[in-house]
Amino acid sequence: MNPPAIVVRDLSKRYGNAHGVLALDKVNLSIEGGTVFGLMGPNGAGKTTLIKVLTGISDITSGSASVAGFDVRKESLKVRARIGWVAAEVILEDDFSAWENLWLQAELEGGIKGWEERAQYLLEYFGLADRKNDKVSKYSTGMRKKLEIALALLHQPSVIFMDEPTIGLDVATRRMLWDIVTGIHKEFGVTVLLTTHYIEEADALCDRIAIIDRGRIVAEGTPSELKARVRSDIVQLETGQSVDAPMLSSIPGVQEVRAQGNDWIIQVAASEEFLPQLFARVQTNEIRRVSVEKPSLETVFLQLTGHRIGEEEPMHDIRKFYAQVRRARG
Amino acid sequence: MRTQLWGLYAREVMRVFRNPFVVLITLVSPFMWLAFFGSSFTNIAAASGRFGTANYFAFLLPGTLSTSMLSVGMFGSMSSIQDKRFGFMKRILITPTSKQTIFLSKSLGAASRGLIQVPVMVVAAYVFGVRFPLSALEWAGWVAALFLLAFGFASLFLAITAPSTDWQTPGVVANFITMPLMFASASLFPSSAFPGWMQAISSVNPITFSAELGRAFLLGTAVNWWELGYLAVFGLAMALVGYFVTARWLKVD
Repeated sequence: MNPPAIVVRDLSKRYGNAHGVLALDKVNLSIEGGTVFGLMGPNGAGKTTLIKVLTGISDITSGSASVAGFDVRKESLKVRARIGWVAAEVILEDDFSAWENLWLQAELEGGIKGWEERAQYLLEYFGLADRKNDKVSKYSTGMRKKLEIALALLHQPSVIFMDEPTIGLDVATRRMLWDIVTGIHKEFGVTVLLTTHYIEEADALCDRIAIIDRGRIVAEGTPSELKARVRSDIVQLETGQSVDAPMLSSIPGVQEVRAQGNDWIIQVAASEEFLPQLFARVQTNEIRRVSVEKPSLETVFLQLTGHRIGEEEPMHDIRKFYAQVRRARG
Repeated sequence: MRTQLWGLYAREVMRVFRNPFVVLITLVSPFMWLAFFGSSFTNIAAASGRFGTANYFAFLLPGTLSTSMLSVGMFGSMSSIQDKRFGFMKRILITPTSKQTIFLSKSLGAASRGLIQVPVMVVAAYVFGVRFPLSALEWAGWVAALFLLAFGFASLFLAITAPSTDWQTPGVVANFITMPLMFASASLFPSSAFPGWMQAISSVNPITFSAELGRAFLLGTAVNWWELGYLAVFGLAMALVGYFVTARWLKVD
């Protein structure tokens, strides 16, 4: 085990005054150095807020956090000298060339000695070297993303934060980015903290995952540990009026029944045994649709939070509203 | 802090030259102002005899250069809002760069950008018959006065717009500040013709100090170097205000 790169203790973050939105609620995390760690949750769950707090962009309301061995509150400059950041939306100086963007980043990092060699190496690593003097505005989305990651790696950080690194990318570019994340982790030995609301992304990339919902960490572990927590299958049904909850619950092997009108989400020990029993008790024309899900991170999330990761959260709306209020106040 | 300040300052200045449209507007608009406003008023000025010169353009040039430093402030704070909206402010602050360094780079960048207008305006005024009998020291004094004025206004605008992320704020602030400061100064007309209350404003308005200093150089009348000292105090005071306000209230996104 490497020493932890990020330690978070009882961290809470409330926006605005005491009645403001509680975006993080007593979060605890310990992220081992040299690993890829995923924060998975729906929009508005608190993923971006956690990154903002850890990078020193937002204040902490209560609790503590350290990154690369330094307290984010008391030793912010030392933390910021050791971290890199890749934004969800690519943020570059569009009127500058790739080389000029790298130069500016080197200056912002406090003047990196020998930055030119490092920059040239990174450009070659990412296959951008022959376009280094072109204006960034002429780059494709994938190239811009690569350059942004090169900027984040320029000062040899020990931790890299990637906020929704593949949001809005097409499938091919997303695959490319997955390879890059795995690659830079091996090549440069950095700890990567990434946020995502794509389950397959967390599964493919991360050594460990924390599931975050409404500002709370609801589960943490390796992808296979998390999947093992859900031994049951999820059966989704759409039925006619005659089907009711007591009847469904009485079927052997049923663990939990949740209803939304005529749509049911049923957690069962084994769908292979449940379905014949169901068809034996209900007239066939009363069942309009059946789907079965085997354990996956998606079902883990559904079981832990009661909703699917893609569903819009009420919290999300509150934060949008709050952002509008702030904007209106100017 | 040195490398960050240099990097961000160079970025501000480079950005101006990367955009041909911005360069064009910077070059053309002062010329237009001299051509249209100056020409419309030149016969009245000559007839009134209160302007100290028969060529109104010679009177107007130092004043116009001074008032154009007001727009510099607006451009500086617009560039700051743009960085917040596009997330670049976050990119900067995740590096070991302080908010105060960002502030200084913006106000110095905006002031430098304002000085780009000086050679353009001088050439334009030459076309309208203005001659420049200035010594090297007087040129330096004039440019220093304009720089301090621009730096002060840029700092003031940045301080006011630090907590905002709204595109509209710099324009609203500019309207609010520009109108009274432009007219209640000796930049366009001699303040001796103003009503008393406007004279009172004009007598403390830094634009008046910069305009009168430039005019003294240009028309060869007695130069009061204390006016440069006043502008230095103004620039420094505004920079201090901006420095502390941004440290406390700069909003990031």
